Amino acid sequence: VVVFPGSNDDHDAAWALRAVGAEPVMVWHRDDSLPSDVGAVVIPGGFSYGDYLRTGAIASVAPVMASVRVFAEAGGPVLGICNGFQILCEARMLPGALRPNRQLEFVCRDAVVRVENAETLFTRRCAYGQELVIPVKHGEGAWFVDEGTFVQLAARGQIVLRYAEDVNGALGNVAGVVNQAGNVLGVMPHPEHAVDPLLGSPDGGLLLAALVDAAGAHRTHAAVA
Amino acid sequence: VGRVVDLELDADDRDDAYRKVERMCAELLANPLIESVEIRIDDGSA
Repeated sequence: VVVFPGSNDDHDAAWALRAVGAEPVMVWHRDDSLPSDVGAVVIPGGFSYGDYLRTGAIASVAPVMASVRVFAEAGGPVLGICNGFQILCEARMLPGALRPNRQLEFVCRDAVVRVENAETLFTRRCAYGQELVIPVKHGEGAWFVDEGTFVQLAARGQIVLRYAEDVNGALGNVAGVVNQAGNVLGVMPHPEHAVDPLLGSPDGGLLLAALVDAAGAHRTHAAVA
Repeated sequence: VGRVVDLELDADDRDDAYRKVERMCAELLANPLIESVEIRIDDGSA
């Protein structure tokens, strides 16, 4: 779990990952390497460096992001949640950008998202078309990309999650996008806040548990290689 | 205007300053997908 100054869901992410069987370690934004036996990277929510320039812009060029990029290029699974999604877009590791919500208000509530591709590393525990209840809480969550790229992404199955209704003005109601290689996912909803029925919904645990599966597979693969 | 960024920098001339700022915008200050940029140079001579 990468920690920037201003991250605020880093401990929730670690807690939730532990709940689904992972052994999370925190990695500081100034670190120039990841622990060698890391199987997956989570970039958590928050307001990295205050997000004053643009959401995720400064964090996208933080020292630790060079290592995250190398990890992703080697096939390592990377999940960006909310601010993490914004950071991955700014780092050009994911297509598009997150603009201010159309209603120009912070939105904080449970959202229903539909699984559009159940064959990614992150959605293999879900079924195609399955509806997940996962909370959103963001002011800049309206994902946007040019029309041509959007058509390509949809055709290639890179649109992974869509809101069941218009939540923030995101193009195509997109809530989650994966890169072309399939190992970097960004989501605006917070799966780490939805791993226990007592807290409203266990549905986010499906995504995180799949990430833990992928982490184990990546570690095994890396150890063999 | 969504944001104004004031920069002070050393440059050989106005063109050099423009090129430097243009590069900063492309690399970090602006996201070309969702933002457009206007650069104004004040060389302090006025």
